[in-house]
Amino acid sequence: MSGATQTTEQGATLSFDNVSVRYAGLTRRALDHVSVVAEPGKMTAVVGPNGSGKSTLVRTLLRRVPLESGRVTVGGKDVAALDARDLARRIAIVPQREEPVLPLRVEEFVALGRHARRSAFGGMSADDRAAVASAVDRAGIAEAIGRRTDTLSGGEWQRVRIARALAQAAPVLVLDEPTTFLDIAHEMAVFELLDELASQGQTVVLVSHQLNLVARFASHIVLLHRGTVAAAGDATTVMRGEILERVYEWPLVVTRDPAVGAPALLPLRGSGRHRERPSS
Amino acid sequence: MNEATRDRTDHAAHSPWIAWGVGALLLLVVVILGLSIGAVPISTRDVINALRGIGDPSTIAIVRDLRAPRVLLAALVGAGLASSGGALQGTLRNPLAEPYLLGVSGGAAVGAVTALAFGVAQPALITLCAFVGAAIATVVVTAIARVVGGSADTKLLLMAGVVVGAFANAAILVALADAPPERLRGALFWMMGSAADATWPAVARCAGALLLLGGILVWRARDLDVLSLGDEPAAALGVDVDRVSRQLFLVASWLAAATVAAAGLIGFVGLVVPNIARALGARQHRPMLLMSALYGAVLLVAADLLARTLRAPADLPLGAVTALVGVPFFLLRLRRLAA
Amino acid sequence: MYPHPRLIRRALTVLLPFIGAVACARADTATADTATADTRDAIATAGTVTASIAADTDDFGAPLPTDARFAARVVSLNPAATEAIFTIGADSLLVGRSRWDEYPKDVERIASLGDGIRPNIEAVLAARPTLVVLYATAENRAAADALARAGVRTIALRVDRIAQFYRMLTVLGRAMGADARAKIVTDSVHATLDRVKALTASRPRRRVVWPAWESPLLVIGGGSYIDELLSIAGADNVFHDMSAPSPPVSIEEIAKRDPDVVIAGVTRAATLTASPSWQAVRAVRERRFIVQDPAVTGRPSVVLGMAAVQLARALHPELRDSLP
Repeated sequence: MSGATQTTEQGATLSFDNVSVRYAGLTRRALDHVSVVAEPGKMTAVVGPNGSGKSTLVRTLLRRVPLESGRVTVGGKDVAALDARDLARRIAIVPQREEPVLPLRVEEFVALGRHARRSAFGGMSADDRAAVASAVDRAGIAEAIGRRTDTLSGGEWQRVRIARALAQAAPVLVLDEPTTFLDIAHEMAVFELLDELASQGQTVVLVSHQLNLVARFASHIVLLHRGTVAAAGDATTVMRGEILERVYEWPLVVTRDPAVGAPALLPLRGSGRHRERPSS
Repeated sequence: MNEATRDRTDHAAHSPWIAWGVGALLLLVVVILGLSIGAVPISTRDVINALRGIGDPSTIAIVRDLRAPRVLLAALVGAGLASSGGALQGTLRNPLAEPYLLGVSGGAAVGAVTALAFGVAQPALITLCAFVGAAIATVVVTAIARVVGGSADTKLLLMAGVVVGAFANAAILVALADAPPERLRGALFWMMGSAADATWPAVARCAGALLLLGGILVWRARDLDVLSLGDEPAAALGVDVDRVSRQLFLVASWLAAATVAAAGLIGFVGLVVPNIARALGARQHRPMLLMSALYGAVLLVAADLLARTLRAPADLPLGAVTALVGVPFFLLRLRRLAA
Repeated sequence: MYPHPRLIRRALTVLLPFIGAVACARADTATADTATADTRDAIATAGTVTASIAADTDDFGAPLPTDARFAARVVSLNPAATEAIFTIGADSLLVGRSRWDEYPKDVERIASLGDGIRPNIEAVLAARPTLVVLYATAENRAAADALARAGVRTIALRVDRIAQFYRMLTVLGRAMGADARAKIVTDSVHATLDRVKALTASRPRRRVVWPAWESPLLVIGGGSYIDELLSIAGADNVFHDMSAPSPPVSIEEIAKRDPDVVIAGVTRAATLTASPSWQAVRAVRERRFIVQDPAVTGRPSVVLGMAAVQLARALHPELRDSLP
């Protein structure tokens, strides 16, 4: 990483080795000997039903939950050995939810992404400013720059948060459900952005409910079920009816989507009362 | 979170330089008024002469040893309370947080009342006991939050603070329930808040606390910016959330404790002024803390002026004056929020 | 995010009048009463009690006993009254007192029944009194009512002025069958005060200030018997115009009124001399203090005469030989 105009980061491998997490007071582990490897240049997606441990995986990176066993490494370095600032320089995380309590201007908000690289009193260096500009540009929020964070729409807010993570200029980018509350157009924009970042060499890890979009964009998918890995691999390997039905406990059918031919999931049942049934 | 894009008049767009300039000007004005107004009419020229040691000895003593320390103490206390409030609002992620929610006032009052109950008469000693009481209370609050929740969770801090505060109030009432009338009066007078007994040593102590503790807050202001985003985002951006929140909480509380020790219980300043500073465009914590200190000083010097002129020669308690001024202001601000 | 605005508005509509009421109540401390009992008055939101000099009702408006029929067992929860009872020799009828009663020394042998303000009614009734003397303050109204309901006669008195002191002696003398002795004491004090007044009448008045308390700063005002003593002793209290017995003032106000002399005890005189802010007062700067003995001047009692004499001696040393 060098140069004032660096806009892409070379990724580093993020690896969860046999990670187990148990929340206090619960008998079942939230994560039970889970191993996930996310490589640079790829979009790795972690999917699974509610309660399967997806968000817990992200929380272990935030170090908000202790590991019962196993370890997490980034670029070969054990995460536990890094202090908060070092970690933030290597992994940029966009948490699931965030409410703006004390409003800032979007520009200031995105600039907070540089916190781990700035000293207590120093101003914004040329590198800092370039990183922020590049992040704003890639996240597509340039017109919102002067606005206050509490005046943004849902979609803009999500993209501003992604911009902040991009400003961190870390080799690994982890996003926890980044497309909740987004409409189709914004959702696609986010996925295309992540796809582009991955293709430029960054390590992108995505936790998502959107199985179909994940199937379309992600090159490596990890399916979690009750804290363990039920399946891992590319879309064709993981997106199979028998695996998904078992995990999601709902009847479904897997077809191919007409746009790019990726596996697509169709949940069955649903009454269809308000629609004309095709004659059987 | 708003779904529709609001096209609100964005005060954030106004230049903060105006706010700084106006604040400095206001401070100058209220300080001059504070030095010039009092029971004895003294012209501004005589005030300036007296400050330099020229003139009638009574006038010099009045200006230098009565009005000047009082005005300065009010300014320092106002600055301290406002910046403490601002830091706590950031740490606790709540624009309605106030130093007194968190056990500071209760602890300080217990300290002072205990000293008074033991017949301590020296103001310096009472101040010290008040500060120690408040410091202990805040440590107890963080300890409770840690033991109960395993971390300095902000919701736990708030609840622990309220509980400790309630306990302290009960302790004070019990201690005062069978106190002789003079002790009772002295304790109440102390608690009501006043800059009337300001002396230069008290001013020096308060200035020291403000520089040291306020200085730490200004130094760590960037961490506050990040902390105020939330536990998870802050952790994601490289802040050791538990350790830093606890440290900032304690420093901000001790700063408030120093002001309570110096001038009794004065509410609203810590709550209202940081919101004013943010509304004037100081959004990030470093400028916000400094602007809060400036406007806090202005507010309290003005309040002190009102306290001694509204019903002269009686000295109204500072805490009551700030509440009377603060509440209407706060209602106006609420209307804007609710709009 | 932000707490719900309607909730805040509701909370504030409740809080605002309360805060306003507290502020006004606080401001009313300017008109609060004497040092010994008044902090509690200041907290109470009820109004002050006007002490009436009417001969047939006490300060709460209750009818006074016209003879000693209720005097079998008397409880006095009023320090001035307790001392007065001893002075008129009726102390054998006392079965209880308040814990704050200090004079005379013999008072210790009378059982203490607790506070004189908001007394513990049960403790008082346990002494099976037939008459209870209360300190007339708004906070004791409830106690007076409770005792009346229990069938116990009460007399509520307070002494802020010398006239009220004479009245207290008369009332207690009548109620406890010591009329003659009460009259002797009254006349004696009266005579001494008249003599001092006559002697000082021709002397130049000295302007004085009498700080009664430091935190908050209270001075003796026009509503106190001490102000009357000062006047009798040939001094003008610079705060005579303030109607409260011990109003709060600022050092600056004292400096403005520029008294010639500050009347204070030895410790207080030293404290004031050492304080930089008090140097604003010329009398402090010039070390013009008159020391007074709080044992004599601190309360309205039979020693009022002696108090006036002592003050007159200090204020007008040239009269030393002619004073009693």
